[in-house]
Parts: sequence; C-alpha cells; structure tokens
Amino acid sequence: MKKKVLTVDDSRTIRNMLLVTLNNAGFETIQAEDGVEGLEVLEECNPDVIVTDINMPRLDGFGFIEGVRRNERYRAVPILVLTTESDAEKKNRARQAGATGWIVKPFDPAKLIDAIERVTA
Amino acid sequence: MDMNEIKEIFFQECEEQLAELESGLLKLNDGDRDPETVNAVFRAVHSIKGGAGAFGLDDLVSFAHVFETTLDCVRSNKLEPTQDVLKVMLRSADVLADLVSASRDGGSVEESRTRGLLKELEALARGEMPTGGGAAEAPKPAPAKAAAPAPVPAAAPAPAPTDESGFQPIPFTFDGFGADEPAEDLSVFEVSFKPRRDLYAKGNEAALLLRDLSRVGEMSINCDMDQLPAFDKMDPEGAYFSWTIQVKTAKSEQDIRTVFEFAEWDCDLDVKVADSSAEELPMVPVPFDLSILDDGTSDADGDDGGAAEAAAQAVAAAETATNVTKMAAAAARVEKKESQAAAAAAAAAANAANAANAANSAGQTIRVDLDRVDRLINLVGELVINQAMLSQSVIENDTTGTSSINMGLEELQQLTREIQDSVMAIRAQPVKPVFQRMSRIVREVADMVGKSIRLVTEGENTEVDKTVIDKLAEPLTHMIRNAVDHGIESPERREAAGKNPEGTVKLTAKHRSGRIVIELSDDGAGINREKVKQKAIDKDLIPADSNLTDEEIDNLIFMPGFSTADKISDISGRGVGMDVVKRSIQALGGRISISSRPGNGSTFTMSLPLTLAVLDGMVVTVAGQTLVVPLTAIVETLQPEASAIHSFGANQRLISIRNSFCPLVDVGRILNFRSIQANPVEGVALLVESEGGGQRALMVDAIQGQRQVVIKSLEANYTHVPGIAAATILGDGRVALILDVDAVVAASRGQSLRQDSGMKADMSLAATG
Amino acid sequence: MASGKAVTGSLKLVSVLDLNEASVLHGQLSSMRGKDLSIDASGVDRVGVQCVQVLMAAANAWEEDKKKFVFETVSDAFRKTMQLIGINIDHLLAKEIQQ
Repeated sequence: MKKKVLTVDDSRTIRNMLLVTLNNAGFETIQAEDGVEGLEVLEECNPDVIVTDINMPRLDGFGFIEGVRRNERYRAVPILVLTTESDAEKKNRARQAGATGWIVKPFDPAKLIDAIERVTA
Repeated sequence: MDMNEIKEIFFQECEEQLAELESGLLKLNDGDRDPETVNAVFRAVHSIKGGAGAFGLDDLVSFAHVFETTLDCVRSNKLEPTQDVLKVMLRSADVLADLVSASRDGGSVEESRTRGLLKELEALARGEMPTGGGAAEAPKPAPAKAAAPAPVPAAAPAPAPTDESGFQPIPFTFDGFGADEPAEDLSVFEVSFKPRRDLYAKGNEAALLLRDLSRVGEMSINCDMDQLPAFDKMDPEGAYFSWTIQVKTAKSEQDIRTVFEFAEWDCDLDVKVADSSAEELPMVPVPFDLSILDDGTSDADGDDGGAAEAAAQAVAAAETATNVTKMAAAAARVEKKESQAAAAAAAAAANAANAANAANSAGQTIRVDLDRVDRLINLVGELVINQAMLSQSVIENDTTGTSSINMGLEELQQLTREIQDSVMAIRAQPVKPVFQRMSRIVREVADMVGKSIRLVTEGENTEVDKTVIDKLAEPLTHMIRNAVDHGIESPERREAAGKNPEGTVKLTAKHRSGRIVIELSDDGAGINREKVKQKAIDKDLIPADSNLTDEEIDNLIFMPGFSTADKISDISGRGVGMDVVKRSIQALGGRISISSRPGNGSTFTMSLPLTLAVLDGMVVTVAGQTLVVPLTAIVETLQPEASAIHSFGANQRLISIRNSFCPLVDVGRILNFRSIQANPVEGVALLVESEGGGQRALMVDAIQGQRQVVIKSLEANYTHVPGIAAATILGDGRVALILDVDAVVAASRGQSLRQDSGMKADMSLAATG
Repeated sequence: MASGKAVTGSLKLVSVLDLNEASVLHGQLSSMRGKDLSIDASGVDRVGVQCVQVLMAAANAWEEDKKKFVFETVSDAFRKTMQLIGINIDHLLAKEIQQ
C-alpha cells in the first residue's frame, strides 16, 4: 500500500517540488492550495500524513492544523509543518495548534522524506 | 517534471508574487489598512523566499528574508506603514524584482543598492522611522546583535528572540559531558522516556519513536506499566506507559535526542550515559532488524521490495536534487566572477534555456477526481444515445425538404462524436507505469531463476483508457513471469545453442486501427510443440490421434488446465495458466494470440480496445430480438449454403468452411429465444473465435449493421443474465443486449450457461452505468 | 437454565489500532467484561501504545475477575510492536501460538 500524503501549500513552486519529491519516493500525493481546501480535501482523501505550510490565504496553517485536530476521524493523522529556519515562534505556535513535527525550509527532499518516515508507521 | 521545469514554474510564480506585492504596497500607500492586504504582501515575499531557498538562490533569499522580517513588523502592528515606510518598501520590491530577474537570466544587481536598502529595512524593523532623507544610511547606536551586516538566513540571529515561546533550538542541558563529540567507541546511553497525553494527541506515537530509537543502536527496553490505572478508571487516550531504554551505539547523545526532536515538549525525556552502578531494571533486549514495522507489514505480496526500491530511488533523487541546487549555486558564484562578456554569454544561454523550458511547460496539467470524469463519460454516453434517437425520429417522421434539420443533425452527430472522443481522451493514459513495473518483475524473476535477461520496451507513451491500464497489469505480469521462467533458456543452454547468454524480452505498445496492440516477445527456445501436444493428450485436453497444425498446437497453451512447466514453479504461479491470462484479456474486450518459432522464441500479441465504455459491435437480429455481437470476437460472416450444412447426432450441425468443419450454434436456441432450430440457410453465420482458440459459427437471423455502442452494465441496472455481457441502448431507444460470445460457445459445448460467469462479471464491472 | 460453561466472548481486533481506536476498543472490551475472552489479533497491521494500554489494563481487570483473557492469534506486526515497546504478552498468548 502506498502511503498517502496530503500537502497544503499556496506556492505553486513548492507544490510542484513536494509532488515530484513525494512521487519519486513512492508516495501518493494529494495537494491543496490553502487551509480551507485542505480541510475539504481531507474528507475525501484519508491521508496517512499531512504536510502543510503556515502562511496561506483564506485559512493559514495554524487554523488548518486546529481544524484537523478537531475532526473526529482525522485528528490522529500526523501533521508536518513547513517552517523557515528562524521561525521559532511560529514553530511553537504550530506545535500548540497540534502539529506533529516540522520540516525546516529551504526545501530539502531528503529531510522531507525522513520526517515523513519518522511520523508514519 | 524535473528541477529545471520546477525552477521555471518558480520564476513564473515570482512574477505573479511580485505583481501581488506591488499592487498590495500601492493599496497600503493609498491608505488601505485591511489586514489581508498586509498578509498578501507578506506572503508574496515569503513565497519568493521559500522557493529561492530551494534553488540555492542565496542573494534572493537574503534580501527577501530581511524584507519579510520588516513586513512582519507591519503585519504585527509594530510598524506603522506610513508613506515614508512604504517608499522604502516599494523600492525594496523593485530590488526584489531585479534580483529575481538576475537569478533567472544571469547578471547581478548593484550591490550598493541592495546593501543600502537592506540597512533601511533593518532600521525599520528596529522601529527607527525613516526621516524621508537618507538618514537610515547613517549607522545608529543599535544593539550590536541586531546589526547583522550580511544577513544569511541560517546565520542571521532571529530578530529579538521572542521570550514568550520558551523555545530553544536544541535544548541541551546535560552534565558537562562531551557527548557532542562523535564517540569513537560504543557507549551505552540510558534514555528515560515518559510521554504525556499531548504527545499522542498531536499525532506522535511512542511506538514509532522507539522504532527510530532502535535504529540508533542495540537496544534493551523496560516498560514501566505501574501508572496504568484500573480498566474502568482509565482514559483510553491517556499516557500511562513510560520506558527506560538502554542503547548501545557509536553515535552521540545528540543522535538519540534527534529521535525525540518532534516530541520533546510533550514528554519527559532524559538521556544520559548509562551508569553501571545504577539500579538494575529488568531490561529486555529488542532483537530488532530494521525491517520490522517498516512499510508494508501488511503487504504480503512482495511489494516490500518495491517500497524499498522506491525509498532508495527517493534518496538518490533527493541527493541529486540537493546536488543540483548546490551545483547551480556554485555555477552562479562562478558566473559572478567571470568577465562581463562571459556573463552576457551565460545570460544568452539562460534565455535560450528559458525559451526551451517555456515550450516544455506548455503541457500543463490539472488534477481531476476520477469520479467526475466518469460522470462526464456517462453523460456523454447518454448524449450519444439521445442524438441517435433524435436522428431516428427525424427519419421516421419523414420531414423531407427541411434539409436544414438534416444538416443540423449531421453536425450534431459530428460534434457528439468529437465530444465523445475528447472525453475518452481524458481518461487515456500512457502505458508507461505498467511497463515500468514489468522491468522490476523481469529483474526479480530472472534473479530467482538464475538467468540474465534484458527487458526492452517500446511505445511506452502509447495511451489507453485508465481502466484498461489498471486491468492490464495482472495478465501482463503473469506473461512476463512466464516468458522469463519458461520462455528464455538458461544461460548454458543458450550458449550451447549459439545464442547470446543474455536473453531478451521485448514489450511493445502501439495503436493500430482504433485499438492498442501490445506485443510481448522473447528470444527463447519457442514452444516445444512435441511436449505441448503430449501434455495436452496426457491431460485429456485433445484426443491422442489429433492432427493439429503448428498454430493449433501453440494455442493449446491457452486451454484451461494446461501448464507446460514440468514442475509447477513458484514463479509462474501455481496452476494459473495462460488460460487465465487469455480470459482476462478477453474480459477487457481484447484478443490474444501466440506465434512461435522453435529455437527463436515466442511472441504474444494482444489487441485491446482503447476504452471499455464503448464497443464496436455488429447489430444482429435473433428471433425478433436485437443483439450486439462484439466485433472483436467475429472472424468473418458468411451466408451458409444448404450444401455446406451437415447434420449429425440428434440436433448437432456442422458447417463446412474451406474444407474444415465448424460447429454451428443457433444463438436463438442457446438463449432460449426459440425452441426449434432456425434454418441456417435463411440466416447468417458469424464465425467467432473464443477461448481455447476454437472456432464456432454463430447462427443469427439477420445483420442490421455495425455501430459503436455505449456499454451499460446489466448487473448494475438489472441482474446478471447468462450469455449476455452487458446491454446498450440503440438509436431507436430500444435496449439491445450485448452477447457474451464465450459463454454462448461454452454453452454450445454442453456446459450450462450458468456455470460460466466469471469473466462476464469482469466485463460488466468494466462497463459504465 | 443450568449454569454450565461460562460464556466466552471473542473479539477481532481491527487492522489499525491508532489513537482513534483506543476509545472504541475500550468500549468493546467494557461490554465484554465478566466473560472469558479470546482475542484475535491476526489482522492487526499497526498498533499504537494507547491501544496497548487499553489491552493491558483489560488483561489486569480480567485477571482480577478470574476470567480468561487470551490472544488466540496475533499478527507479526502485533507481536513485534509488543516486543519493541518492551511488553511481554507471552502469558496471554494461547498455548498453540506461544513461541
């Protein structure tokens, strides 16, 4: 069974990078462009793990994470946050919102796969 | 998609973000104080920074980082976006745009411009308002730590570490022990780990953390269950277990702490060098091979190899990607040092590359839920039927003279056909993924049987309906295994036969007259006809005195219950023979044949429809009923003459076709449409080929014509009917049944129609509606 | 009715025993309290610590009740996870599958 990853990011560049990296690594990838879409897609795709950005229009990463954790069915899904190197405060807020772990930008395929492997069975 | 294409997307996106940034700043300049405007501006810069970081565009990252930090002050209301502030911001936006262009086309931005603006931005972030002049240029008595002269993001101190967070990047507090240095020898660490409820609530899992810990070294574990309350008092989602773990490893304390990186806030964690004098806990060694609990514990199918392979590929890809980034960065650096001329040349080259990339990126894609496509296909199916019905009723009402109606109808028909083709094309996908999977199977099976085999593929980009692709993988896998296991000889035997010890299996796909043709050939020994025939006789599949042509012998391998291998091997599957392959191909509306040259190998040829939603059929009349016979099943049609019909037995008849006899099957009788046999001379015979390669002449009363019909599942709408594969709706609105040729032929051999339903189920699954 | 053999309950564990499943499992077990219980863990692909906690607490409760609490079959994943997290369930395994 392929692991299913839901990625939530408003940047087309990052979305493509995630897609290529995850597909190459043998994951099934579902993508959403912001938190609102992320919560919509969540219901249909039943992911094994979620990777989300923080800064997004409509609903940001914090709101999205809280939304997932409030969802009866999906509250246990591991969520990895894409953060920037110096965002200590944001990382902390994401953690409080219920993030499982984080991937520090700049985007590094090896780190991403490693983090996903760590939080999924 | 590769890194270059993504980079091109990045630059496209930068253009959009820069436009967003500029319009946002101008709005702010006009007095707009909507927080979303500020957010959008911030996000634009943030996005550019994020992408630039991924491509190692350091100049761009550094500048965007400082710009972003300042914008964040505006966002958090620490900095009032006055006109003076916005002037700096707008100039910064321009520099950012120049930096983007420079990154894309080569060249550079005047460093003094960048540096000056960086200083101004930093000053703003410190809360120093610009005076409108060049005041910000003057060095201010700022706190030393904030004056980061060359803001490289990784090194730049976070602007005034926020005190409320309590977050420490790597919280190391231990007893002055130099555990940071790479340990030369094995040391034993004692880890005590007590998760809190939150750890689980945030999607972390103690079992996974322990799994990762076991990868650090040799591990012994003791689970403390004392905190576990009585069953009826417990919170099922509480955290009661805690662990003491000893890890013997050459790695450092930091490596151990890294395992708990995501969890350290939500657990009590202590890592120390094991004290030999410490109290003895009953530790249980964890005999851990790393495969345990890895991917695919549930995957008995041997897909594990695939996961591992995929992981390896991912790592390789990741390394490549990182290297690409590094190389790009290095190249950029070199470029800067080169002379003007060289820079210009590089820019020209970059432009050329951009043009090429732009051409490539024309093939853009969107992701669409399959259900939506299927719904569309269904609707188009209805449309086709409707259009046909409309045409019919116009003809019936005989509205002669109104040629405009007829012309309109013709156009409608044309359009409908085009819409149908376009919609079908949405589902079309290249066979590449299936073909790629086969190369792994060849490698694995070849390894297993000690052969050296090369897989050559051709036409991987040939497209066919996704459903067909999905259903193709299994029969193809089976055939490939067969080819490798039985088709290709051992290296010794090949050498003895004067062949290349390395065998070749070739897999090709191509479109041919509205169908996809897939060929699988090997350069092995070919079919051993002697042996095959003997086997068939031994198994009572054919009479001992059968006189068969080479082709007929070759086709024996498709007979149910036939297996050529002397021993049933693990590789080619137990008792699952080519008959199963043939049936699954036929269930897809396809045909399969074999041609073999002794000593030179065999070629299997499969011809499949491009879609399972429509079918080319021959519309026939049987006992007043309209039936559709799949065109792929029909070899030829003929008008029987009385002299060609021979009766034998009670009611068996044969028809002689070119010196051979073929059983005549009255479709109307078989389907119980009528109780007495029709006179063959008054009808038409359809010569069909069915499983096992046998030919039958199906008697029908008349042929109405050929047409493409939309398949409607009978099972989904009614119930399974023996001898019938599916249904369709004709232009006049009548429902016509699609004949299941194999079932009818089987029934003619005396088998009950009811027994033989496996493959029809497949067929109806494939049908839409 | 004669008080003959005690009624034996049986429980088939689902394949993924994650956070969400812990309460469900607790509820299922609660409803079987007082009966001998045989558990089929052959289909378990993934088991989290919280479900293990529930199972171990139940094992204790059953022991207090003097009722049988037996794993009839366990999957490889289940057995290995127990080993990994340092929990010995040998005494809870049915005789036939003890190693």
